[in-house]
Amino acid sequence: MSHSVPDEAFALAIATLPEVGPARRLVLHRAGDLRTVWSRICDGSIGCDPQVRRALGLGIGEPMLTEEYSPIIQSWQDHAASLDPAAELDRHLTAGVGVAALGSARYPGAFVEDPEPPTVVCWLGDIDDLVGPRVAIIGTRRCTQAGRDTAFELGYALSAAGVSVVSGLALGIDAAAHRGALAAGGAPPIAVVGSGLDVIYPPANRALWSQVAEAGVVLTELPLGEPPRAWHFPNRNRMIAALADVVVVVESRRRGGSLSTVAAAIRRDRDVMAVPGPVRSPAAEGSNALLRDFGVCCDATDVLLRLGMSPAARRPSAEQRPLPEGNAALILDALGWQPSTLEDLVARVHLPLEVVTLALIQLEEAGWVSEHGGWFERRAKTEFAG
Amino acid sequence: MLATVASACLIGVDGYPVTVEVHMSQGLPGFTIVGRPDASCREARDRVRAALHSSGMPLAAKKITVNLAPAGLRKTGASFDVAMALGLLIAYEMLPQSVVDDVTFIGELGLDGSIRKVPGMLPMVDAAKTDVVVVPPSAVSEALLVGKPKVRCAPDLRSLVEALTGEASWPDLPEPVEPGPSADPPDLREVRGHEVARRALEVAAAGGHHLLMVGPPGAGKTMLARRLPGLLPPLDLRTALATTRVHSAAGAELPPGGLIRVPPLRAPHHGASAVAMVGGGTGAMQPGEISLAHGGVLFLDELGEFSVDVLESLRQPLEDGSVRVVRADHRVTFPARFLLVAAMNPCPCGEADQPGACRCSPAALLRYSRRISGPLLDRFDLRVKVTRPTARELIEGPSGECSEVVAERVRRARERAWRRGVDANAQLSSKALEDCAPLKPAARALLEAALVKNQLSARGLQRVRAVALTLADLADDDPPLDSRHVAVALAMRIDLGAYYRRIA
Repeated sequence: MSHSVPDEAFALAIATLPEVGPARRLVLHRAGDLRTVWSRICDGSIGCDPQVRRALGLGIGEPMLTEEYSPIIQSWQDHAASLDPAAELDRHLTAGVGVAALGSARYPGAFVEDPEPPTVVCWLGDIDDLVGPRVAIIGTRRCTQAGRDTAFELGYALSAAGVSVVSGLALGIDAAAHRGALAAGGAPPIAVVGSGLDVIYPPANRALWSQVAEAGVVLTELPLGEPPRAWHFPNRNRMIAALADVVVVVESRRRGGSLSTVAAAIRRDRDVMAVPGPVRSPAAEGSNALLRDFGVCCDATDVLLRLGMSPAARRPSAEQRPLPEGNAALILDALGWQPSTLEDLVARVHLPLEVVTLALIQLEEAGWVSEHGGWFERRAKTEFAG
Repeated sequence: MLATVASACLIGVDGYPVTVEVHMSQGLPGFTIVGRPDASCREARDRVRAALHSSGMPLAAKKITVNLAPAGLRKTGASFDVAMALGLLIAYEMLPQSVVDDVTFIGELGLDGSIRKVPGMLPMVDAAKTDVVVVPPSAVSEALLVGKPKVRCAPDLRSLVEALTGEASWPDLPEPVEPGPSADPPDLREVRGHEVARRALEVAAAGGHHLLMVGPPGAGKTMLARRLPGLLPPLDLRTALATTRVHSAAGAELPPGGLIRVPPLRAPHHGASAVAMVGGGTGAMQPGEISLAHGGVLFLDELGEFSVDVLESLRQPLEDGSVRVVRADHRVTFPARFLLVAAMNPCPCGEADQPGACRCSPAALLRYSRRISGPLLDRFDLRVKVTRPTARELIEGPSGECSEVVAERVRRARERAWRRGVDANAQLSSKALEDCAPLKPAARALLEAALVKNQLSARGLQRVRAVALTLADLADDDPPLDSRHVAVALAMRIDLGAYYRRIA
């Protein structure tokens, strides 16, 4: 090993070790000079370090002998034997991925003071985009059209006001928030993902993934090739909370993953806001519960005020869609903001089926209504519709 | 001494004439049946011997050989019992051969000498080549449907022999039962709410369009399906005869009067095997559920739970209106023209498929969506959502039209279809649709918009057109098709893929 190998190489190598999560990674990272730590992993003597032993749940009272067998340390040793840290770093750099280890100059400042900082950060795009105010917009993957529209609007307005939108590039609310930010073309969007940067998950967001990387930054603490394991996502959520000044929950289920981001935000004293949803909507159960303890977010102005920014004097944009008339207006009124089926609508408006279906087709064409699998939902303004 | 008596056997839904030959000779006493009999057929020797004994005509122990001709045909069932018993009496010279000439005997013997009905009386009587057919009294109404041979009946062996020898006259045929009003069929009036699903049922009945209902458990999908046969016109004579043959061959109970005029409803459980569904089986080929539903409705509840083989085996019969079952021994064609009505949950959690409420993981949704193949889904011209009516709708909701009114509209719509040369609009080819279902400009624009949005395939377009034509027929509108009919036809074809894409 030459002396020119930077810390990033060892941090990446440590990140690839089996059975190592953020906590163990941090313990290893702090066990000394990274080069020395790596060589101690290679020869197994890392098993003598008291902090490492505690992290692994090994006794520290007994004599700390290298020879004492620990399957984890053995597996680290086996793994390290076949890994060249310099080549590992090279693999990332040739793939166009930026890498910064905790303690190095390029390491994002937002994580430095964090209680659980990632030991290494990999990114696509420009890491210097992590300056300026940041707001996380998060929510369920299985959202309603109304939630999707709200996330889009918030993302759009915040980005336009110079606030970076942080989210997780998941389906549903996350994707809608990013789309909104991209459509505004304002402050760069920031995405934190739960897989290696070459493993695009979910595949449906492939295009969005590269758009965010282009306009802003996609980052992760996982090395290239790491699949999207279930346990990566709570860890990813803590990074979102760490990056954000304010966390806005648009729609969350009663036990949704967004609530783990909220918990992480509370631990870090970040502001949390929730968008009120319909009382009976299961998709908004979790976010509505947050309203009891946290701030209410009805539009971007609420968030901007919380950030201490003066809301831009944004004129409410004029409605661009042709206003519905006659039966169509009646049906749009009856639709409200809850998903409804054709059957519900016919029962509500007491009009013949022919009239209702024709009016719905017109409303859909005009952008007032969207339809998915027999469910009709009212659209918010379509000036944003992506 | 040799005797020959005419009888018949059943394979699939077709009868075949069989000659029962009985030969008695000196030698070691024994009773052999040849001519490819199956187990139930071979056991006839014990039934026949006991029945003759009970009827006061015991037989001395002799060497007896019974041949069932033609020898190549595999014979199953007990339909030859009566013919065998008479053949024995002739062979023992207790009865002259002349009394059985030109008479076919079909029936099973009880040990007490009584004559019983066997499955498939109708097709077997139809196959009889003689002028007279003798059947048990319970099968007379069925046998009379054939109309050709003279039907006689006898309740037991003793009275049959007495009638044949002229000692007594033939027993009277049982009084024909008038096909009175059957038990109150479920009426559409009892359905509250479900405005769209009711209309879909009406369109399915009028146009012969297969219908898929998607909705959570307890939404009323089964309740709706049970009301469909009441909307269909009664079976025409040809279909009624074909349906009755199938039910007769399956040994199902026939309505009073014998002929099935009310379209049948078959609702097999989703555990059904492919053989139970399309027919077949070892020994006699049994018609399956799809043939029992001939002329009527096949209702598959929980479509997603049926095994993939079973569902795929439906595709060919749906196309051809009949199913050809081929086994090593037999090749049988069963009629199978039915209206397919299926119900399924939109997703495994079923409870709450509405956007933002479904609890299924994307992987579970994908697995579920794979259960029903695209080609099968394509067969459903009508795909509607059925939601649980709210409590208010259930209690205060207006009850809709009764089945009678709807059935009258359906009848008139079918008359329009007959004038186009088909039974129902679903059978119209693309070319025929061009001719008889022109579109108004606004209607054309709607379809083009749906095509552009990728809601419809080229094939789907034609199906929507056929449904719109049925809607126009029901409204007594003449083509060209109006945009309102096209709009409803489009609304009755929800995109199922959206369930599995909505998470994206």
